[in-house]
Amino acid sequence: MNAVEVRGLSRSFDGREILRDVSFTVGHGEIFGYLGPNGAGKTTTIRILLGLLAPGAGEVRVLGRDLAADDEARARIGVLFENNGLADRMSADGNLAYYAGLYGVEDPAERIDELLALVGLADRRDDPVGTFSTGMKRKLGIARAILHRPEVVFLDEPSSGLDPGAQRMVRDLIIELSRREEMTVFLNSHHLDEVQRVCSTVAILAGGRIRAFDSVENLTAASGRPAVTVSLADPGDRARACETAGRLPYVTGCDVNGDHLHCTLADPGATPDLVAALVGAGFRIEEVRRSSRSLEEIYLEHVGRAEGEA
Amino acid sequence: MSTFRIIAGREMWLALRNRSILISGLIFAVWLPVMSALGIAAGAGEEVTILAGSIAAVTLPVGVFMGYIFCADAFLREKRDGTIETLLCAPVSLRRLWEGKAAGVAVPAYLMTLFSAAVTVAAVSTLSGTPIAAEPLLLLHLVVVVPVWIAAAAGLIGAAQLALGMRENQILGFVFIFGFIFLIVGLQQVAPGGPGLSWTTEALLAAAGAALLALARVIAGKVTKERIVRTIP
Ligand SMILES: Nc1ncnc2c1ncn2[C@@H]1O[C@H](COP(=O)(O)OP(=O)(O)O)[C@@H](O)[C@H]1O
Ligand SMILES: [Mg+2]
Repeated sequence: MNAVEVRGLSRSFDGREILRDVSFTVGHGEIFGYLGPNGAGKTTTIRILLGLLAPGAGEVRVLGRDLAADDEARARIGVLFENNGLADRMSADGNLAYYAGLYGVEDPAERIDELLALVGLADRRDDPVGTFSTGMKRKLGIARAILHRPEVVFLDEPSSGLDPGAQRMVRDLIIELSRREEMTVFLNSHHLDEVQRVCSTVAILAGGRIRAFDSVENLTAASGRPAVTVSLADPGDRARACETAGRLPYVTGCDVNGDHLHCTLADPGATPDLVAALVGAGFRIEEVRRSSRSLEEIYLEHVGRAEGEA
Repeated sequence: MSTFRIIAGREMWLALRNRSILISGLIFAVWLPVMSALGIAAGAGEEVTILAGSIAAVTLPVGVFMGYIFCADAFLREKRDGTIETLLCAPVSLRRLWEGKAAGVAVPAYLMTLFSAAVTVAAVSTLSGTPIAAEPLLLLHLVVVVPVWIAAAAGLIGAAQLALGMRENQILGFVFIFGFIFLIVGLQQVAPGGPGLSWTTEALLAAAGAALLALARVIAGKVTKERIVRTIP
């Protein structure tokens, strides 16, 4: 059984269809990235999974349960919405203690100490959360979401509104948690770099439909033809080098792309020959990289296509 | 500890530390009794049951108002900030959440109302020159009728705040307060036995309070998570 199952899910608001026949699954222990532009319906999907909104059509299950009907099953689930779910006038400790009580956490004091240390807030534990920065609140929100050691945790854009340092800290925390606590992580995001680094599987939601659903590896590798990026020591040589490379039989195309060359190859094993040919022609090479498409390119392509349809 | 006590306990903790709500509550708890004590002392003469009846009449609107101001923190703020959504994901039923919060509102509201009643008794005793201490019916009123009405007010206002959008809520706050006051005044008018404190008036008020509390439970049972989440601003 999968940790999360979504089958044929549709949902409208006021006659406007937001989700159309959405299906995907998330396996146990995966870090799943749910991608889509603003307003795509990512938060709506999470709300339906958590039983906060009813599905219009289709079926959703988390750990095999319908969380709308099953109050107890929600004890195995954690969630972080964009507002963190914290009371500003209560201390960090007080907020966590409240949720520990609601979820029936055993040895709450010990668990709270452990988590406050993990997110680096141990020395602020008695301060009201209202005095915290956005990043500190988010870290405490994550601690709150995983306090009861949930089997599945839903994170709705956890790095939005954070500075790069805090984003990185959140990213590392997610990886650490999935490894240490063996949690399944459902990550809503439009932060592609983060998703590429953190997630094992992704689904791209745009125009109400799932446009892609695969492992990050498969998505980024499936670029069609093999290609390499070549940087030259003397950028002034780029145009001539491109001409030289373009005449080689195993090079199917070559363009100047920024300050490097981008060559597509007929055969993935042709890279050493290409390098030898360029060096033989007198070009000095600084760096050669096999290029795969970034998740960003794939994402923009799908979202662009969805916008074209609309 | 039961989830009911955990939820109610947190709301009480927050209520007793919300300075702006406490200050408005205290001002109201003192201002209304003193204003009404002037009228009561001037109009009621020296008849103790009539004085006590007038005091009892003041405590109910005070209690309802206290319930309303403490709801602002427990229900409305949580809705406005959207933190209610996280709470709705906890392994607790919506009914339990509503009960816990309503109780967490009703307890501090009741304490404030008792304080206000003490101020009223002291003010009326001083101004009328008639000491009003342990009138049994007045005590019964404070121990039974007042808490039932406060619980009903907290439950009804809380359920409405969960179910309604922010703009509707602003309007509805006043509608509720005035609705309750009209109801209380109306019941006191139709109750047989005249203006003084009487068993029939108290029985009628207690029954009406219990009916309102039952109504609050029914209404709260009809509020759905979908409704709450879709009216978060
Ligand atoms: N309660 C609601 N009532 C009406 N429309 C809504 C409601 N919630 C979300 N929507 C609409 O549904 C769409 C998807 O919203 P959302 O799930 O929040 O997107 P995302 O999280 O991907 O940014 C948006 O167009 C939004 O305006
Ligand atoms: Mg969203």
